[in-house]
Amino acid sequence: MATLDLKQIRKTYPKADQETLKGIDISIESGEFLILVGPSGCGKSTLMNTIAGLEDISSGHIVIDGREVSQVEPKDRDIAMVFQSYALYPNMTVYGNIAFGLKIRKMPQEEINTEVQRVAKMLQIDHLLDRKPSQLSGGQRQRVAMGRALARRPKLYLFDEPLSNLDAKLRVEMRHQIKRLHQQLNTTIVYVTHDQIEAMTLADRIAVMKEGEVQQLGTPNDIYSAPNNMFVASFMGSPSMNFIAGCVHRNDAGQPYIEMLDSNQDPKQLSLPLAMSEYEGKDIVVGLRPEHITDKVMPDSDTLTRLELSLDVLEPTGPDVIAMFTLNDQEIACRLAPTFLAKAGQVVPLSFDLSKAVFFDAKTEQRLDIV
Amino acid sequence: MNNLKLSRLFLYAILITFCLVYMMPLVVMVMTSLKTLPDIKAGNIMSLPQEWVFDAWYKAWGGACTGITCEGVKGYFWNSFQMVIPAVVVSTLIGAFNGYVVTKWQFKGSNLFFSLLLFGCFIPFQVILLPMAAVLGKLGMANTTMGLALVHVIYGAAFTTLFFRNFYIGIPDELVKAAKLDGAGFFTIFFRILLPLSTPIIMVTVIWQFTSIWNDFLFGVVYSGADTQPITVALNNLVNTSTGVKEYNVDMAAAIIAGLPTLVVYVLAGKYFVRGLTAGSVKG
Repeated sequence: MATLDLKQIRKTYPKADQETLKGIDISIESGEFLILVGPSGCGKSTLMNTIAGLEDISSGHIVIDGREVSQVEPKDRDIAMVFQSYALYPNMTVYGNIAFGLKIRKMPQEEINTEVQRVAKMLQIDHLLDRKPSQLSGGQRQRVAMGRALARRPKLYLFDEPLSNLDAKLRVEMRHQIKRLHQQLNTTIVYVTHDQIEAMTLADRIAVMKEGEVQQLGTPNDIYSAPNNMFVASFMGSPSMNFIAGCVHRNDAGQPYIEMLDSNQDPKQLSLPLAMSEYEGKDIVVGLRPEHITDKVMPDSDTLTRLELSLDVLEPTGPDVIAMFTLNDQEIACRLAPTFLAKAGQVVPLSFDLSKAVFFDAKTEQRLDIV
Repeated sequence: MNNLKLSRLFLYAILITFCLVYMMPLVVMVMTSLKTLPDIKAGNIMSLPQEWVFDAWYKAWGGACTGITCEGVKGYFWNSFQMVIPAVVVSTLIGAFNGYVVTKWQFKGSNLFFSLLLFGCFIPFQVILLPMAAVLGKLGMANTTMGLALVHVIYGAAFTTLFFRNFYIGIPDELVKAAKLDGAGFFTIFFRILLPLSTPIIMVTVIWQFTSIWNDFLFGVVYSGADTQPITVALNNLVNTSTGVKEYNVDMAAAIIAGLPTLVVYVLAGKYFVRGLTAGSVKG
């Protein structure tokens, strides 16, 4: 168990005209589960490789447990990594794969045996120790790869998209197992994924990355309910957050609102919280999660607006249905109860709960701080 | 249905015809080598021997004249082995090592290094004859079997590197990364992880190198001494040494002897020509 401090990590590949990592600052506490998430090409895997020492950094500091390791060889950093492709040694048995790192480190044979047995039992692969990787299923390979990492008892675990090669059902299963392992062992883990559900369910904290920069670092709840900017807001959550653009106006009563057209092209007002008054005359984007638009009939209030929209598409997912509407020429997704029934084209009254909304500056796409 | 059968028949007929055409030279060689000299002179080239005799084989192996000596090809046969075995082993190892470095430990200019090495595949033998002779002379290896083997190692390294490089480039880098994190060093990764995966490409390289080195004539005739000639040179001398009568049966027997080892290598190593040994390291 160890702390990890990344200070101003910069990385430029030779011949590249752009920095891949543009000054990453992340501090991870002992026993913390940190998830790096972002679209492909955002630098999350590069960051992972630099932590492992598989790639050099151009500048900055990597500190593990108070020791500066940016110039240290990978093998001396006391790190274990689980790869997306598992990277099991095909010529060795499962036992050989798990024991390889221990043998290289000249651990006595008896200790190796007990260690391999311990890890294999924990991951329920003890009956597979004599098999070659080619004789294993995807999930089993994945567990062997984790076993190889666990056996060395390193200070820090790195997981590079470990579940993305598994099918959906197995992925959920392994996700639970990883979470359980983390709770059991209380180890420090850095985990890369592009799957936002994995990120939400596993992480103590999430770092959302884009183009080599950390967009936001916070707990899953922070990221979900108070995204720093529109990128983070749209990246986390499925279906993603609805964005309704408009200019802030105030009516005679002093209530701020933005104007929009409903399905009949009739102008309607979407009331904003009072604190939005200070942005009068400015272009903003209202971010509203699909679950904050309901078909329950509720009286209008400062933050609750009723609009009648005609239904475009209905997607039942089981626990709820996703209904798509068009508002202001933009697509709006709502998460409704599975009992909701309507035909395409039918006009549905919807309540927009603006008390849960977040607001962004239309130009900078940054979240506006309102009290 | 009938149509299908007919086309099948046609197909097999063509294939069998081609087989026969390709087999013809070997059949003629074997039959001629088993005939007596009068039989050859009297009969048709395609006819079966009137009398099956192995005299020509004994003579080719131990008694035929190659230039001034008349001891058959057996000495040269072993010469060839002494040259071929170290040359194949060393050039294969060098190729594996080079391939490992240019794919998994790329350094500044490693691509240029590889391109230059590739160039070696296109250099005609004749171009290096004189400079190589000078080098061998300076090294004191002129006219020795080891000198000849050295030439083949140098010449073969370009091909073997190409083979191994193309094979190793298909092996996921993550395997090497995982081994690095497990604490394995440069040589440990090579010997413990990559080399055990290389059986198919080692077999390809060995077959290729063995065949081309064994069959080489030009380097053999230029760089070998009277005692160190490889079998290809001896075969040439045997066929060209005329003491009046042309002994076709002995020539044929000697030619088959000279070609036998490459055939054996194909038969033995061919079955290891299996692919997909790395299957299972990545998602399957």
